[in-house]
Amino acid sequence: MDAGTGAPSEDTGTAADTGADTDTRLEELHDRWLRAAAELDNLRKRTARDLTRQRLDERARVAAEWLPVVDNLELALRHADDAGADPIIEGVRSVRDQAVAVLARLGFPRVEDLGAQFDPARHEAVSTLEDPEAEPGTVVAVVRPGYGEGPDQLRPASVVVSTKAED
Amino acid sequence: MARAVGIDLGTTNSVIATTEDGHPTVIPNAEGSRTTPSVVGFTDQGEVLVGQMARRQAILNPKGTIYSAKRFMGRRFDEVHDETKAVSFDVAAGPDGAVRFKVRDRQYAPEEISAFVLRKLIADAAKFLGEKVTEAVITVPAYFNDAQRQATKDAGKIAGVEVLRIINEPTAAALAYGLDKKGSETVLVFDLGGGTFDVSILDIGDGVVEVRSTAGDTHLGGDDFDRRIVDHLADEFQRQDGIDLRADPQALQRLFEAAEKAKVELSAVSQTQISLPFITADANGPKHLNTTLMRSTFEQITGDLIERVKGPVEQAMGDAKLTSADLDEVILVGGSTRMPAVQQTVRRMTGKDPNMTVNPDEVVALGAAVQAAVIRGEVKDVVLLDVTPLSLGVETLGGLMTKVIERNTTIPARRTEIFSTAEDNQSAVDVVILQGERERAADNRVLGRFRLENIRPAPRGVPQVEVTFDIDANGILNVTAKDKDTGAEQRITISESANLDTSEIDRMIADAERHRADDVALREAVDARNELDSIAYQVERRLSELGDAVPVHEKARAEQLIAEARQAIKEEAPADRLRILAGELQQVFHALGAGAQPGQPEQQTGPQPGQPGAGGPDDDVIDAEFTEPE
Repeated sequence: MDAGTGAPSEDTGTAADTGADTDTRLEELHDRWLRAAAELDNLRKRTARDLTRQRLDERARVAAEWLPVVDNLELALRHADDAGADPIIEGVRSVRDQAVAVLARLGFPRVEDLGAQFDPARHEAVSTLEDPEAEPGTVVAVVRPGYGEGPDQLRPASVVVSTKAED
Repeated sequence: MARAVGIDLGTTNSVIATTEDGHPTVIPNAEGSRTTPSVVGFTDQGEVLVGQMARRQAILNPKGTIYSAKRFMGRRFDEVHDETKAVSFDVAAGPDGAVRFKVRDRQYAPEEISAFVLRKLIADAAKFLGEKVTEAVITVPAYFNDAQRQATKDAGKIAGVEVLRIINEPTAAALAYGLDKKGSETVLVFDLGGGTFDVSILDIGDGVVEVRSTAGDTHLGGDDFDRRIVDHLADEFQRQDGIDLRADPQALQRLFEAAEKAKVELSAVSQTQISLPFITADANGPKHLNTTLMRSTFEQITGDLIERVKGPVEQAMGDAKLTSADLDEVILVGGSTRMPAVQQTVRRMTGKDPNMTVNPDEVVALGAAVQAAVIRGEVKDVVLLDVTPLSLGVETLGGLMTKVIERNTTIPARRTEIFSTAEDNQSAVDVVILQGERERAADNRVLGRFRLENIRPAPRGVPQVEVTFDIDANGILNVTAKDKDTGAEQRITISESANLDTSEIDRMIADAERHRADDVALREAVDARNELDSIAYQVERRLSELGDAVPVHEKARAEQLIAEARQAIKEEAPADRLRILAGELQQVFHALGAGAQPGQPEQQTGPQPGQPGAGGPDDDVIDAEFTEPE
């Protein structure tokens, strides 16, 4: 199955009387064969690379499909915040923490962005807020948290950014 | 070696592609996306952001974020009054009345903005490919005039790439479908993108593509459909709960995401669930949006948008002086053409089944890449390789076809698999060479047969017959069977495997498709019978090996099970029954091995029937068994 085996022999033979045509043809064929073998080798490498990438892409895709569920748990808990120590809410909160931990294990840790400087690589601005307390361009609220960092970013955080008062 | 690429420089999104071994492929950007937003952002800090990053900061920087630059390309300030009103950034008149975008104290020409987008596409592609990208084919709408084409070319120059050619988007789409090679054809290209709609009619002949007519609507696209769903959901919610979700930016964003998702899903299914829990809250607590959107409802609320595509189609056909009967082919371009209502409309108006086998988001860039490769002369280096149109294999135990070379394998190709005997002391095997996709040997074409004889007496499953299929570049098939024990060999050469005409091949593939469920069931049943037969045989053999060492009651039970198994096989009992018997026999087999001969390793000496698979030449796994010749 190896491209290298079964290769035509290098031996051009003694029957040189067929002339230069054969030599050129042989050279051309040899060159094409080498190219084909090289191409196969390159393909093998590319396939290996693609496979890794696709595995990571697929993992990210599956994880991203689950994100809305985590987001909605988050929203539910936000509404429950002032409801005191209800054991059901406590339970739901630990489910949320569990979900966040699973995402972190998959390589997509949750990013804490509150108070950070706005960075389009990590944040998506969804609205602005005049906030005299905060430096302009600061993240003053995280509407939806981001997961994963750098090349492993699953989703940027959706954030509200402060602007100068009295623009 | 430097690469040539094809670029679809779009109004909302751009795509870059190249050819790998003659096949065009899209190159993902640094963020891993196959499309890049055609957006450029100039930040307060003097940074230039391009693509997704620019889009993310757009709301913070409405005056410094330029999008839809393509709408301004090569145009004069006094021509773009309406476009200017539709964007958030400032548009001004530059030298000679040309359009300029004003960002703080600097002015940018539309071609400079496009150059930023091109530069990012090219830089990301070069990084991905690990090669320099120096030359590009860039596409433009068919209706672009000379000034607009020149501006696009200039954008390429500013980005530092040599523009090999500017080609029309519909032409690129036709090239991606290889229509230039099909002889003389009239093609309608229907392109409904995110924000623009174009119809073009092309005349293709002798490798020359000519645009006969174009029409369109510069402000109609997928975004309009999303907006309709958002309004529909928000109106319904307002009616029921009295809250306008559109007033809350976060709720609105969730609505837009849900709307786009629903639209995509409704292209495949007739109804979809939209679930946005905790979308908002009032004094009574949280509120949820839970609703079902039917495709029929979606089509009703977007009916007028669909209606708007009809005029341009009629106009393009009228201008080209054609009726639907003159069209040979209809191609769909742009993600919005995935909507069934759009496809139906196109089908009704053109009387043709529209073609969208190439991803409509990528087809233009792919066609541009094909063109780039042609101009660069890369194509002539491509060796045209054939494939086997149908699978090739041999008949094995139970009248099944065991495939050795799968269909669509590129030739020349060589595959070897090991087979064995199905009976004790079988002295010959019949090698029946089959072609086709069906599981039952009898349903496939017999290409040839031969017999390998003088196999030394041995228990079934022990002899190893190496069968090699070798197809050369001309489609000539050589099949060799070799007894690994004696080295004896038989071979046959079949030259007719290639000369089936296409209709026959299509018929055989369609046949297999139609009978797939039956065939899978058949294979399962035969495999189950073979497996049961094999384990019954092994138990029987173990019993005779052990002789009197086996307790009488165990022996009686084993023999009874063997008899039941043989009977079940003969009666072609249902698979469940076969599996239960196989399981029981397996237990007996292990009990015999463990109880009577504790020293013996847990090794399965028998054949493993019905396990087709990756049998490489050095692989001693036995893939299947031959039946004894009659």
